[in-house]
Amino acid sequence: MALATVLSGSCKKFVEQEPQTALTEEQVFSKLDNIEPLLLGLYTSWRNTRKDRGGFMFTLGSDEAQQGAYQVQTDDRQAGLDRYNGFLTASNTALAQQWDSRWPVISAAARIIYSLGLNKEEGTRKNTILGEASFIRAALDFEVSQYWGEIPLIDQAKFTEYGTRRQALPLVYQTIISDLETAIKFLPDAQSDKRRATKGAAIALLGKVYLYAPEASGLRDYAKARDQFKQLVDGGRYQLVANYGDLWDPAKPNSAESIYEFQFNNTYPDNNQTQWQMGSRSLADIDQYCYFGGYDLMVPTNYCYADVSAGGIWETGDQRKAASIRYDFTYKGKTPVLNPSFGGDELDPHVKKYEDPRTDGTLSFWLSGKNIIYMRYADILLCYAETLNETGATVQAVDLVNTVRRRAWGGTLPTEAAWNQGMSATEFRTRILDERMRELCFEGWRRMDLIRTGKLVDLVRQRNKWAKQSGTIQPFHNRYPIPLQEIKQNEDISETDQNPGYSNN
Amino acid sequence: MQKLTQKALMAFCVVLLAICLSPGAYAQNLSVTGQVTGKDDGLTVPGVTVSVKGTTQGVITDAYGKFALNAPQGATLIFSAVGYERMETAATASPMNIVLISANNNLTEVTVVGVTIKKRDLTGSIGSVSEKTIRERPTTNVNQAIQGRVSGVLVQNNDPRPGGSSSIKIRGNNSIQFGSNPIYVVDGLVIDGNFNTINPDDIASIDILKDASATALYGSRGANGVVLVTTKKAKKGEGKIDYNAWVGVQSFTKNIPYLNAQQIVDLRLDAYANRYVDENPGADRNAYVQSLLNPAGSAAFGADELKVYNAGQSYNWLKEIRQKGVQQNHTLSFSKGSDDGSSVYISFNYTDQKGLLKTSNYKRFGGQINLDQKIKPWFKVGTNTNFTRTEERYIDGGVFNIASNANPLLAINDSIPYLSWKGIQSQDLYNPLRSLRIDGQGNQNRLLTTNYAVVTPTPGLNIRSGFSVEARNQNYFNYIPRDLGQSLRNSTQGSATHKKENWLNWQWDNSVSYEKTYGKHNFSGLVSFGLTKNDYDYNQVDAWGFATDDFSYKYLGGAFLKDKFVLGSDFVTNTLVSYVARFNYSYDGKYFATLTGRYDGSSRFGNGNKWGLFPSLALAYDIAREDFIKGSKLSTFKVRAGYGIAGNQNIPNFAYRSLYRPTFTNGSVTYVSDGRLGNPNLRWEKQKQLNLGLDLGVMDNRITMSADYFIIHNDDLLMQRTLSSTTGFSNRIDNVGSLLNKGVEVNISAQIIRDKDLQWSVSGNISSYRNRITKLYGNVDAIYNYGGFTGVEIQREGNLFLGKSLNSIYTYKFEKIAQESDMARTSQIDYGGRTIRPGDIIPVDINGDKKIDDADRIVVGNTDPKFYGGFATDLNYKNFGFNAVFNYNVGGKRVNYLYESLLGGTGEYAAQTDELNRWTPTNTNTNIPRAYRGSGRYGPGETDYSVQSAAYLRLSAVTLSYQFTGDFMKKAKLNNLRFYLTGSNLFTATGYKGYDPEGGDSYPTARMVVAGVNVGF
Repeated sequence: MALATVLSGSCKKFVEQEPQTALTEEQVFSKLDNIEPLLLGLYTSWRNTRKDRGGFMFTLGSDEAQQGAYQVQTDDRQAGLDRYNGFLTASNTALAQQWDSRWPVISAAARIIYSLGLNKEEGTRKNTILGEASFIRAALDFEVSQYWGEIPLIDQAKFTEYGTRRQALPLVYQTIISDLETAIKFLPDAQSDKRRATKGAAIALLGKVYLYAPEASGLRDYAKARDQFKQLVDGGRYQLVANYGDLWDPAKPNSAESIYEFQFNNTYPDNNQTQWQMGSRSLADIDQYCYFGGYDLMVPTNYCYADVSAGGIWETGDQRKAASIRYDFTYKGKTPVLNPSFGGDELDPHVKKYEDPRTDGTLSFWLSGKNIIYMRYADILLCYAETLNETGATVQAVDLVNTVRRRAWGGTLPTEAAWNQGMSATEFRTRILDERMRELCFEGWRRMDLIRTGKLVDLVRQRNKWAKQSGTIQPFHNRYPIPLQEIKQNEDISETDQNPGYSNN
Repeated sequence: MQKLTQKALMAFCVVLLAICLSPGAYAQNLSVTGQVTGKDDGLTVPGVTVSVKGTTQGVITDAYGKFALNAPQGATLIFSAVGYERMETAATASPMNIVLISANNNLTEVTVVGVTIKKRDLTGSIGSVSEKTIRERPTTNVNQAIQGRVSGVLVQNNDPRPGGSSSIKIRGNNSIQFGSNPIYVVDGLVIDGNFNTINPDDIASIDILKDASATALYGSRGANGVVLVTTKKAKKGEGKIDYNAWVGVQSFTKNIPYLNAQQIVDLRLDAYANRYVDENPGADRNAYVQSLLNPAGSAAFGADELKVYNAGQSYNWLKEIRQKGVQQNHTLSFSKGSDDGSSVYISFNYTDQKGLLKTSNYKRFGGQINLDQKIKPWFKVGTNTNFTRTEERYIDGGVFNIASNANPLLAINDSIPYLSWKGIQSQDLYNPLRSLRIDGQGNQNRLLTTNYAVVTPTPGLNIRSGFSVEARNQNYFNYIPRDLGQSLRNSTQGSATHKKENWLNWQWDNSVSYEKTYGKHNFSGLVSFGLTKNDYDYNQVDAWGFATDDFSYKYLGGAFLKDKFVLGSDFVTNTLVSYVARFNYSYDGKYFATLTGRYDGSSRFGNGNKWGLFPSLALAYDIAREDFIKGSKLSTFKVRAGYGIAGNQNIPNFAYRSLYRPTFTNGSVTYVSDGRLGNPNLRWEKQKQLNLGLDLGVMDNRITMSADYFIIHNDDLLMQRTLSSTTGFSNRIDNVGSLLNKGVEVNISAQIIRDKDLQWSVSGNISSYRNRITKLYGNVDAIYNYGGFTGVEIQREGNLFLGKSLNSIYTYKFEKIAQESDMARTSQIDYGGRTIRPGDIIPVDINGDKKIDDADRIVVGNTDPKFYGGFATDLNYKNFGFNAVFNYNVGGKRVNYLYESLLGGTGEYAAQTDELNRWTPTNTNTNIPRAYRGSGRYGPGETDYSVQSAAYLRLSAVTLSYQFTGDFMKKAKLNNLRFYLTGSNLFTATGYKGYDPEGGDSYPTARMVVAGVNVGF
C-alpha cells in the first residue's frame, strides 16, 4: 500500500514534462523582464506586415501606383486589387493575407496591455511598455479600420462584452484615441532604440486619427487634429532634412525628419525584399544582382510619373521626381531592351524610393533592406496644413506647404513654384492631394487619403490603368471585403456581416 | 456348492453391473497420462484440449502441460489449442509426450510491451504474416513485405526513393492528422518511425493487431493499430548457418507522355493566338501567328527556342539525370537452440541501393543478436539487440520535378544556373544538372535493444522485468556550391548545413503473470507497470560564404558570412506511465474471455487531462468443439466479439500551452509566439471499437475463411485547426470532433491441390471501410484547411465536413467544356470576374443562383477506396515454386495535381500529350480545354476536373524458385538451397494519369527484377 502510494506519487511527477526551450504564456507575462522582449517582438511583427509583397497591397489599386502588367496578366486575384472586378471579393487571398498578418500583432499587444494591469512591479518601465503596446495596437487598429471599416476590438478585460464581432465605428475610433492618449502619457520623448515608438510618434498619429477618422465615427475633428500637429511642430524635435534625396539614402537612416520608421537591414530575416517587388524584370533578366532589378509588383501610374505638361504631377525643378521615380534603366553601360514576351511596362518608370544600392553587384535584390518610413515630419506638416485650412487658416496652411516645397526645390522655392497665400480653402483642398502624392508617393498613405477625401472612386478610375480598363470600381470599394476565412472561422462574424457590395465568394 | 455358485453369480452380477454402470469403462480401459510441449520452444503448453475422438470426453492440460484421462484401448486422442496445429494420435498406456507444431509455422510467443504472452491469448482481430510469406517478396522494407497480405491493412509505397519507406494504414483513418500510422512493436519495444532500418530477413513473424481488444495492451497508443514484429529465434536442434542474398535492377514503372518541342510550339502559338483573337475580334490570326515565329523578336518565344524549333530538335532533361538503379541485399545468420530453451541467433545484413536518379544511393549495415539463456530452471534472461547504420546520399528535392517538367525547347546545358522558358531564366527553376552537384549526405546509427529477466518461482507464475532502449542518432550534411542557382539567388556564396539529431527512448516494463487450470477452467492473468521516456535533441548549423567548394560541408570554420549563420537546437522530453491488468478465462477450450484494463498517463497533456483509462473485453466461442459439429465437414468454426477503447496521444509537444521563444531579429532578442494557442483542455483521443469476427475452416482446414466486421467510434479527435486571426494565434491543437468508421474484412485461403509433388494454394483478402464525421466542435459544420501560396486559400483536400468522409475532396464541380451553344446560358451567370468562351471549363452552378461563389463549392468525392486488398497464388511442383502477389484498390479517387499542371494550355510550361486533343473550333468533341495564354478563365485546378479514379490492379511480386532436395543436398552437406527470380511491380492496370495511383506524382514508382539465393548449412 505504501509502495503503491510512493509509486503513484513519483509517477505523477514522471508524466510532468515542461518545455526546456520555450517560455509559457504564464512565464512570459509574469514579469517585465519577459514582457519587454515580447514587446520588441511586437515591433518586429508589426514591421513585418510592411515587408515584401504584403507591404504594398494597399497601395495597389490607388491613383499613384498599380501592378506591373506581367503580374496583372498572371495573377487574377491580385489583379483584382487594381481592377476592382469580380476577383476583389471575400476570397481574395492577397487581402486575406494582410488581414491575417495584422491581427496577431493587435492581439498580442492587447495581451501585454492586460497583463500590465495585473503586474505589481514598480517604476517607469512598466508605463513605457504600456505606452508602446497601446501605440502599436492603435496604429494597427487604425490601419485595419481605415480599410475594412468596423472591426473587432481586442481587449482581454472586455472579452465577454466585445467578443470578436465587428464594433461600431464610434467605439472603434474612441478606442484608438484612448490608446494613443495612453501612449502620449507614458512614452518618452526619445528612444535610443530606433525600433521603439516615442511620444512624438503618438502625437503625430493621434493628429492623423482625428484627421482620417471616417465621418461616420463622429470623431473626425480638424481642430483636435490641428492641436496635436501644432504640439508636435512647436516641440521642435523634428525638422525637414535639407536634401529630399537623403531620405532614401540607406546610409542616412532615422533622420531628424523621421518620426517613426521600420528598421531593416540586408540580412535575412531583417531584409524586406521590397526591391524584388518594385524593380524591373528587364533588369533582373540582365543581372540578378542589379539593385534596381525586380519583378514589377508595383509601378507608378502614368499620372504619378508624368510631368504636369503630360497630364501628370511633376513641375519643373521639383527634386522629388528624380528621387522618387526611376526613369533611366541603363545599367553598367547596358541599356536593356524590352523583351517582347514580358508585360510591356517593364521599362516604364519604376518606384525608386525603395532601391537599396548597398546590394548592387554583391547581393540579390531579394536581400534589399532599407528602412521603410512609417511617419515623417513632412507628412505631418502637410496634414497640419490641411487642418489649418479646414479650420479657417488657409494662409498659414499655404505657408506650411511652401515650407515643404522649398525643400523639394533644394532650399530656394522659385516664385512661380510657390503656392499663393490667397488661394481659397477649396482650391487648397484640391491641390493638397497632388502635393501629398508628390511628397509621399509609395509611402503607404495614399489609399487612406483617397478614402477620407471621398476621391477614391473618381481618381482611381481616371488614373489607375487597370481600374480604368476594367471600369468596374464603385463606391462600395471604399472598403475591402472581410476575408472569407474570417467569416468561416470567427463565430462572431457571419456572412451577413460582410461589407456592403461584396459577395462572400 | 449351491451357495458358492450363488455367491459367485452375485459377485459376477455386481462386477457386471459395475462394469455396465461405469460409463465407458469396459474391460480394456487405459489410464492415459502425458505432457504437451511446443515444438519450437520446447516449453510445456497449458490449456490444450485433449479429447477422445468420437466422444464428448476431454480434459485440458494444466499449467505444466500435463493431462490425465481414461480412454478406451485403441482410442485416438485429439490435441488442439489455439496457435497450434491440431494433432491426432493413438492413446498409449505409457506416458505420452506430445509435441505440438505451431500453426502457420509461427512462433507461439510474442513479446508485447512488458510481457511475453502466448499468441493464442491475443484475442481479437489479428492478421499475421509468416516468415515464409515475408520471404516471398525480396525487399529491404518491412511494410512492402506485408503489402496486400493482410486484410484491413493498406500499405502504400509513397516514397519510392532508395531507402524510402511506405505508409501503412490499418482499418482506414481513425485519427485525423496526428499519429494516423500504427505503432510498431519490435520484440516488445515501441517505435514510431523509421521502420526501414528493420531487416526483413531477421523477422520471424509480423502480427497486425487491428481491433481494440487485440491492441488493448497498448491502449494508449493503439488507436491506429499495432504492428508486432518478432525477430527470429533459433529452433531446437543442430546449429544452422543461413545466407540469403539478392540482386535487383530497377527502372521506372511509368513515364509521363510529355509534349515534345514541336508540339509545345504548336500549343503556345495556339494559346497566344486564341488570346489575341479574343481581345481583337476579327483580327488576322495567321498573320499574328507568323509574327510570333519571327526570330528577330517574338512576343511568345525566346530566340533560342525558335532556333531549336527550326532545327526540328527536342530535349529531354529527365534523361540526363537518370541512371539504372541496382540494389543488392545480403544476410548471413547463425542460430542454435538447446533443449532447455536457451537459444542464440546472430545475423549480419548489408544492403546497397543505387537510386534511379544520378548520385542518389542508400546503404545499410546491420546486425542482430537474439539470446535466451536459462540460467536456472526458474530463471531465464534474454536479449534481442539490433544495430543498424544507414548511409544515404540525397538528391536535392526539386531535381526530379524540374528536370521532368523542363522546357523541351531548351538545349541541354549545364552552364546556366536556371532553366528558362521563352528565353527568360526563372529563378525558381534551378538547373537540375547543376543541382546534382549539391553534396547531400545523411547517416543514421540505431540501436534497438530489448532485454529481460524472468523468474518462475512456481510453475504458472512468471515475474518479468524488461528494459528496452532505442538509441538513435542521425546526421544530415549538405553543401550547395557557390555557382549554383540556389546560391546565386540567395547570395549565399556557397552554403553548408549540418543537422544532428539524437533520440533516446527507453521503456521499463514489469509484470507478474499467473496461469492456473482447475478441471476444465483455465485462468490466467497479469498485472504490469511500465515507464517510457523519450528524449530528443537536435542541433543545426547553416553556414554561408565559402571561399572554395573543395571542402564541401566539411569545414564550417572556413565560412565567412558570419552574420548569416543560422543556429538551431532543441531538447524535448516525453514520458508515459502505464498500468495494465489483464485477465483471461477459458472453459473447456470452447469459451474464451479476456478482460483488459489499461490506465495511462502522458506528459503530452496538461494537468487534469493526463490520464486515460482504456478497457477492453473480448469473447470467443469455438463452436467446432461442440458435439453437434464433430464429424461434420467444419474443422474450424469460431465466433469472436470484442469491444474496447484505445487512445492516441501523438500530438505536438506542449500543445496544451502557448509558447514563446526568443528570436534574434531586428537588433535584439525578442519573444515570439510560435503561432499556436495553448489548449489546456486537450485530452486523449479515444477510439471505441466493436469487432465481430468469424473463423471458418472446412475439409481439415484446407479452406479457411476469416471475416471481421468493425464499428469504430472515434471521439475527441485531435487535430490542428486554424483560428480566426483575431484570436492572435494562427492555430490550436484541439479535440475537434467524432468520426464513425465501419468496415468489413475477409481473408480466404484454400489449398486446392496438396499432392506429394504438386501443391497449389490461393489466398485473397478484401477490405472495405466507410467513414463519416459525426460531430465537430461547437455548432461548426465544417473545418477548412487553408494553405497555398498565401496560406489563406481553402485547399481541396484536408477539409472536414459534418456527415462526410474525412478524406473528402472539396471544390467546384466541372460541368463540361464550353461549346458555342453554351454561350447563351453562360452569359447569364456571374463567374466572379472570369470569362467563359468556347473551349473553356464551365463549373456547375450548384445552387442555380446564376452566380458561382463559395456556395457552389461542394464535396465532389473522397479518396477512400470502396474496397481494396490483395490476392496471391502459390504453386509448387516438385522442386519448383511459383508465387504471385497482386494488390488492388477499387473506388478510390485522387486529385491529380501533376496532370492538371500539365494541362494549363499555355505552352509556357511542360504539357501532357492529352493537349494534342485540345478543344479547337474544329475539334469540339473533347474534354480537354482549349489553349489560352493569360488569366481570366477557370483553370483545371479550380474544379474537380483532375479528380481521377485511383483504382488499380498491380502485380506487386511474382517469384519463380527452385528448391534443391535429396541426395545432392546430402552430398553438399546443405540443409537448404533455393534460387529464385522475382519481379516486383511488373505490371499495374490503372486509368490514373499520373505516375502512380498510390505512389503519387512527385516521383515515379520503381519496377525491379531480382535474382536471389537462400543457402542453409
